Amino acid sequence: MEIDSDMSNTIKVGDFVVVQRQGYTKLHKVKAHSRLILGSFNIEMDNVIGEKYYDTFQMKNMPGNRKLYTVEKVEQTNSAVESLSIEQSGADNRHIPNNAESQGLTKDDIDKLKDEELSSNIIVEQLISNSKTFSLRTGYSQEKYIKKKEKKYFEYIQIKKPSIRIMGQMFYRQDPTKTLGIRIDDLSQILTYANIHQEGNHLLYDSGTSGLMPAAITNSIGSQTTGCLIHMHPGNECQKNGFVAMQFPIEQAERCINVNLYSVLRCYYQQKDSFSDSSETKSDTNTDQNLENGAKNNEESEPTSKKARLEEPNQKKSWQLDNERACKILDQKVDSLIVTAKEHPVNIVKALLPFLRGNRSLVVFSLLKEPLQDLYFYLKSRVDIVSIKLSNNFMRDYQVLPDRTHPEVNMNYGGYILTGFKLIC
Amino acid sequence: MSFDGYKDEINEGDTVILYLTITQVYSIKAQPKIVNKKGNEVENVFQTPYGALKCGELIGKSYGTKISLSKGWGYVLQPTPELWTITLPHRTQIIYTPDISMIILQLELCPGSMVIESGTGSGSLSHALIRAVKPHGHVYTFDFHEVRAKTATEEFKDHGLASYVTVGHRDVCEDGFGEHMTGKADAVFLDLPHPWLAIPHALTSIKTTGGRLCSFSPCIEQVQKSCLMLLKLGFQDIQTLEVLQTQYSVQQRSIPVINLDFVKAEKDGSEPEKKEREMMKTVTGLPPASSPGHTGYLTFATLPPVWCRSLQISLNEEDILTSVD
Ligand SMILES: C[S@@+](CC[C@H](N)C(=O)[O-])C[C@H]1O[C@@H](n2cnc3c(N)ncnc32)[C@H](O)[C@@H]1O
Repeated sequence: MEIDSDMSNTIKVGDFVVVQRQGYTKLHKVKAHSRLILGSFNIEMDNVIGEKYYDTFQMKNMPGNRKLYTVEKVEQTNSAVESLSIEQSGADNRHIPNNAESQGLTKDDIDKLKDEELSSNIIVEQLISNSKTFSLRTGYSQEKYIKKKEKKYFEYIQIKKPSIRIMGQMFYRQDPTKTLGIRIDDLSQILTYANIHQEGNHLLYDSGTSGLMPAAITNSIGSQTTGCLIHMHPGNECQKNGFVAMQFPIEQAERCINVNLYSVLRCYYQQKDSFSDSSETKSDTNTDQNLENGAKNNEESEPTSKKARLEEPNQKKSWQLDNERACKILDQKVDSLIVTAKEHPVNIVKALLPFLRGNRSLVVFSLLKEPLQDLYFYLKSRVDIVSIKLSNNFMRDYQVLPDRTHPEVNMNYGGYILTGFKLIC
Repeated sequence: MSFDGYKDEINEGDTVILYLTITQVYSIKAQPKIVNKKGNEVENVFQTPYGALKCGELIGKSYGTKISLSKGWGYVLQPTPELWTITLPHRTQIIYTPDISMIILQLELCPGSMVIESGTGSGSLSHALIRAVKPHGHVYTFDFHEVRAKTATEEFKDHGLASYVTVGHRDVCEDGFGEHMTGKADAVFLDLPHPWLAIPHALTSIKTTGGRLCSFSPCIEQVQKSCLMLLKLGFQDIQTLEVLQTQYSVQQRSIPVINLDFVKAEKDGSEPEKKEREMMKTVTGLPPASSPGHTGYLTFATLPPVWCRSLQISLNEEDILTSVD
């Protein structure tokens, strides 16, 4: 066993973790005495604290409270398919009646089993012995049945560290609108076409990807590097889930400057002296960010910034300082422009393109093709953008098993990406 | 020397991207002279459909500006891994940006990562790997073809990337990635005809705290063998997928409209004359008439940390292995 010298592989209170039960994953913040609802299970998570990432835990019924589960670290698990001995199977499905009431156990019976002890092995065994048709099924179909049932009563969970890959896939699977429809392939291409890497100043307008876009860019910029991200958002607070879950070192997280789109541009055009070096002290801004854009308060308000807003009324508020920091960078121009918006992209791109340096790239994502076609014509009409490309992806997963390899039965459709290079004119 | 960091001005020796049209993009070298096949130094001239370009004249120009050619013009851009991929000299089959992007994201690379790649081939993927892991990460790339390994080494040096990458000349299926790589890598990438033979070596090269692996294979049989090997060795989260990109040509089209209302009434002379056909304008994005329908399957997997590898192996329902260190 390995010594975890810096504790970075130990699960601690305060950590964001990804809890995985078979194909299902959920983001969870570890607190003392915290509970996690995972599908139909209500789980007391205390026992994961102090254990290591990637460890596997078994869900066990809590004594005295049958609806509650606790977890216990395991070194070994039992797979139903392996341990059950199947005595008889049919050659094909000719004897299986169509609508027969084939399961002898009622739902109540099964619930009782589950409440006694959650063990997919025992439950699946019971289901099989009470099934009138199981022995008629083909071996293949028996295995499929067991897998399906095992999945339903599977009692093991695994704890993982959040990563951009895991969260990108998780958010999209939970609900594609959580990431504005940005699928993992879309995300990967947005980052490469924008040439995001350790250096440079990058500009993102994101109208709500649960923090995934700013997190992914910040992750690619890296820690102990020089790159910087200005993250413009349309609300009072930006969506942060994905960003905070990454638990970036402070030094790295601080290089992502979150600013409100309207307020930062107003600062840039109307309060030039607040950020141009000569007059650091002057601040007679009476902008109230809350009024500026009553439109939407995107979920996840951050308590720390609220606190900052209350104390020291004469001092500049933290959002004002962020605006000024961002404006200083905008004044120097940026090395990439990324727009992932729900809104029509033309006006946004029009407003932000002046901040993009020449010889740098622009990447715009939209779930719809038509707004990007409009953008295409707008960019064509300017003379300073070349290599304008509009694309989308076909992506599919495969089941790979001996003699049973085929594309996954379900697939989905990503969005559209427009890219281009700005010239120096 | 134009691949490491943003640059404003073209210096002598830079690789420069010459952009003429969306399908005419080239990489050229900003140097006045080159050595021709006979070993003589001659003027470095690049022939384009719009006239000849004396490459030496690019020196001192700004990246991102327009340059005149005798019969037209073009633009000079600083190379990125994406522009390099579409203009590089092919020494082998190469991997393209849609697959490369997925590889980088799913291998969870970021500045500081240590990544192993084999084979090096034409270095298309290597350039993107280097960008992802620099400045404090490193790419170790291996090819058993001596000339390719040597050419790649020179190319990385020429591009100013030498300090981020080490090219090894070896057969990774036979000999692995070398003693010095044991427990060093955060990620391993394989683009080989027999990837499953290199997977056991990947296992020893990945850090004890775990890491990611990707194998790119054009054929499904290769994928099947690789997946079985991954399962046997205790990898988890094994996922095979493919990504295909379609590029649309955005156009405004005029479509003829037929009006059929008049057929309901008797002829009274108000019917439209045959010639003056009505047209309707519509904007559309057209896919190409034909495009590649397959590049390769990407198989990804996680090697869990040492403290849960044995559990994973038993989970993978395979024979317990006798010798895994
Ligand atoms: C298709 S190319 C790789 C292309 C590369 N991914 C790129 O994007 O440019 C495959 C390379 O693997 C090398 N190769 C094949 N078998 C090998 C082995 N056993 N050990 C090392 N290199 C090998 C070949 O020489 C060839 O250059």
